[in-house]
Amino acid sequence: MNEIVVIIGGGIAGLEAARQLLALGHSPIVIEKSDHLGGHVADWHKLFPDMKPAKDIVDELVSSSKDANIFLHTEISFINRLKDRYNIMLSNGISITSRYILFTTGFRLFDAAKKEEYGYGVYNQVITNQDLEKWFNTSKDSRIDNSAMKAVGFVHCVGSRDEKARNTQCSKVCCITAIKQAIELKEKFPDAEIYCFYMDLRLFGKKFEDFYIKAQRDCGIHFIRGRVSEVSENIDGKVIVKAEDTLAGRPMKVTLDLLVLMSGMVCNPDSTRVAGMMSLPIDSDGFLRSTDNVSRNTVSPKNGIFYAGACTGPKTVPETLAEARSAVLEIHNSIISRR
Amino acid sequence: MNNVTHLSGYNNFVLPFMIGMIFVLSCCAIGAVRVILELPASDKKKFFLSLINPKIMAQNVRDWFCDCLFHVKLWKRNKLLGYMHSSIAFGWFMIILLGHIEVFLYTPDRIHKLWYPIFFRYFVAVNDNTMQGSFFFFLMDFFLLIILSGILLALVKRVRSRAFGMRRTTRLSFTDRIGLYSLWLIFPLRLLAEGFTADISGGSFLTMSLNHVLHSFLGSEMNMLPTWWAYSLTLGTFMCILPFSRYMHIPAEILLIPMRNAGILITHSRKGVSRLYVHTCPGCGVCIDACPMGAVKANNKDATVYLNRQLKRGNQRRINEISEKCLLCGKCSAVCQVGVEGDKLRIAQRTQIKYNLSPDYSKIDVNSLINTNNIFVNTANKNVSYTENKKVLYFAGCMTSLTPSIRKSMVSILNKSGVDWRFMDEEGGICCGRPMWMAGRLEQAKQMAEKNTEIIKTSGADMLLLSCPICYRIFKERYSLEGVEVLHHTEYIDRLVSEGRLNLSRSDTRYVYHDPCELGRGCNIYEQPRHVVSAVGELVEAAKNGKESVCCGGSLGSLTLGFDKRKPLTENALANLTAGSPDAIVTACPLCQSTFGRYSDRPVKDIAQIVDENS
Repeated sequence: MNEIVVIIGGGIAGLEAARQLLALGHSPIVIEKSDHLGGHVADWHKLFPDMKPAKDIVDELVSSSKDANIFLHTEISFINRLKDRYNIMLSNGISITSRYILFTTGFRLFDAAKKEEYGYGVYNQVITNQDLEKWFNTSKDSRIDNSAMKAVGFVHCVGSRDEKARNTQCSKVCCITAIKQAIELKEKFPDAEIYCFYMDLRLFGKKFEDFYIKAQRDCGIHFIRGRVSEVSENIDGKVIVKAEDTLAGRPMKVTLDLLVLMSGMVCNPDSTRVAGMMSLPIDSDGFLRSTDNVSRNTVSPKNGIFYAGACTGPKTVPETLAEARSAVLEIHNSIISRR
Repeated sequence: MNNVTHLSGYNNFVLPFMIGMIFVLSCCAIGAVRVILELPASDKKKFFLSLINPKIMAQNVRDWFCDCLFHVKLWKRNKLLGYMHSSIAFGWFMIILLGHIEVFLYTPDRIHKLWYPIFFRYFVAVNDNTMQGSFFFFLMDFFLLIILSGILLALVKRVRSRAFGMRRTTRLSFTDRIGLYSLWLIFPLRLLAEGFTADISGGSFLTMSLNHVLHSFLGSEMNMLPTWWAYSLTLGTFMCILPFSRYMHIPAEILLIPMRNAGILITHSRKGVSRLYVHTCPGCGVCIDACPMGAVKANNKDATVYLNRQLKRGNQRRINEISEKCLLCGKCSAVCQVGVEGDKLRIAQRTQIKYNLSPDYSKIDVNSLINTNNIFVNTANKNVSYTENKKVLYFAGCMTSLTPSIRKSMVSILNKSGVDWRFMDEEGGICCGRPMWMAGRLEQAKQMAEKNTEIIKTSGADMLLLSCPICYRIFKERYSLEGVEVLHHTEYIDRLVSEGRLNLSRSDTRYVYHDPCELGRGCNIYEQPRHVVSAVGELVEAAKNGKESVCCGGSLGSLTLGFDKRKPLTENALANLTAGSPDAIVTACPLCQSTFGRYSDRPVKDIAQIVDENS
């Protein structure tokens, strides 16, 4: 009962699915556009809530899925539907015939330059959450000056819950990521004042609230409820942030050495493109639409096509992994019922 | 019997006409007196003084002929539309004029009878005396033919308005319909009436030939009187319905022209010039196609023509709705054939809407905003080396502060050009007041203007530089800054380039320039930005540009249009801009830039950015 399953995307969802499919005796084929596996998580430093290194998770997933057929640097050229299967043409010239396709295309980070008022790409001292994680990993970023880190700001909800940025959805992980990053920065620079500008804090996950309390009580991070209105630069190259403290009911202005924008998750345009080849529906939030958002969220409306991970909406790492397993189970059951 | 009435110069059929005539004349007189009385005292004086000013009077006469009779603006818009309107207006005017000349020349004793020139051919029998006027017979027939061709076009337009360059036309009200049908009927009936009497009264190529045709199968003279009755009745109907229909624009425009030339502006939501505007609206519906909100069909009913209709009816709910929704892009005013200023009319309505909040800005202490950064101390900047040493104060405004790349480019350009400049609002400033003005909160806007004026005067600047057209417009229109030149950055960059203080390098990039509403239609600046864009790349024009440029949809003007409702407007504006497939979109307004940036498939830049990149 060996069955070929094409997995589009070699992020954590794709790898976890490949691993589970191998365990069930199937033959997964992972198609990854970039030159490495692990997707966004591969760029991350540590994962909340236990500060587990992201590298460990990715390495574990890669090693346990190494028996799968993996194509790096490969994209989908086109897909056409045969009688009861799909013909998938890859950019490297290989074509695959399979009854099952699993979308693990993930998300794309919102382009922070689109919120021009925050000055990303305009001012040197403005970076994104992803830039900061990369810096944690590599310690290389010309914008971050280790010697002068007296004040740092985090702007929550950049391109999330923002009608003007064309994204009304909550990206789910940024609140806790900002707190995690703030604590990490505070540990690196104990003298720095750290500000978090938030709309409201959505700390729903296991031990998230503990993180928040630690940040406030033990690390002295300032949480300011209010949106940043405007960012500018002074002569010394520091960034000036104007915001409204809506709890105190007054405007405030702080001068910072670094401003970190918590870019949200938006749908990956590549997944929309591939979905378009099979006329799969897109939900109102721009992500792929499942048959049912409550009970069948890994199942697409088309036969043999399944979803897992952030291609259907923002998700945390454990949620993504769980969904990958759930999708594999759906596929496996479908294979069995065919016999 | 006929002979008797012919001789007396009276027949009962003139009564409908006379009733209509007296009614319409008295309505117009009452209306004109009312409008003039409603003007503020200073405007009244201004108006009467303009009437004895030979220069303004000459302008008035010119406008009366060009606008009311020849419809020059319509000709420019669409030749068929222009011909249709001017043939009826000018033709009718000539028929009335020639009719009076005929009476004056041949029956001067009857000139006091008001109806006489209108029904001349009924009362006059052909004789040697009148036949000398065969030249006039010819002219009368000629102009009647011109009018009839116009009416024929009007009939075609009802069915195929697209042929006249109009996608959408107004839905007519009941009175408009009666007016329209009676107007259509007047001239064919006149032709018929004159055709029946042409063998007695005399006539020319049209009426005489028709007379021969009619007599070949309708021999009886009995048809004469009923057709003259019908002619008089339709005339009477038209004139009686005129004050209640859109045809009121004919007399109203005659008064609006001298008012406009006298420089009288809207000061009240309903009274004075506002009332005149409402009645001058001919309901043609050119503004429906022009309105950028028309990208969504449901917004068609919010065009200026419907605002005017609701103002006539006094439907307050709809008046407020239409007034608050509008983007105030001013395109309806720019395309309006009679010069109704839809945007200003709406601001006037907004002044009447009560809000719970009415902030007071008169208490702001400007001293906290005046500091060494924005004051020109007596010494000029050491690094500055140029002959014309102007002290430039740069007011970025809130929108430029929200688009830091524009501000950064401006700073770079000013430094590169060796300008002696200061930021007016680096540490925060006071709003220019234009958003308040647009919202109809004129008092608050004036308070802000006073505060800003104080800062500018204290700074000792010679020039105020703006990079936001929204600010620029109110600084230009409502501030009195004697001795301080107010310039938009497009004008200033153009000047810096032409003076050789800023050197630009040209690339092959194809740029389309979007005219921001407040800069183009608002302040009449179209040329300077195009000079600048042409200096750094290839300028491509949008499908509609200049005066007819399409609002980006992000305007502050609308108080009620939600974010989702604006998206189709922006997409429509983008489609217009990218018609010539440019590589990038260039604009000169931070609000347009961020609005387009949201949905555009290609880069959207401010003119300052492309200048900074290419200098």
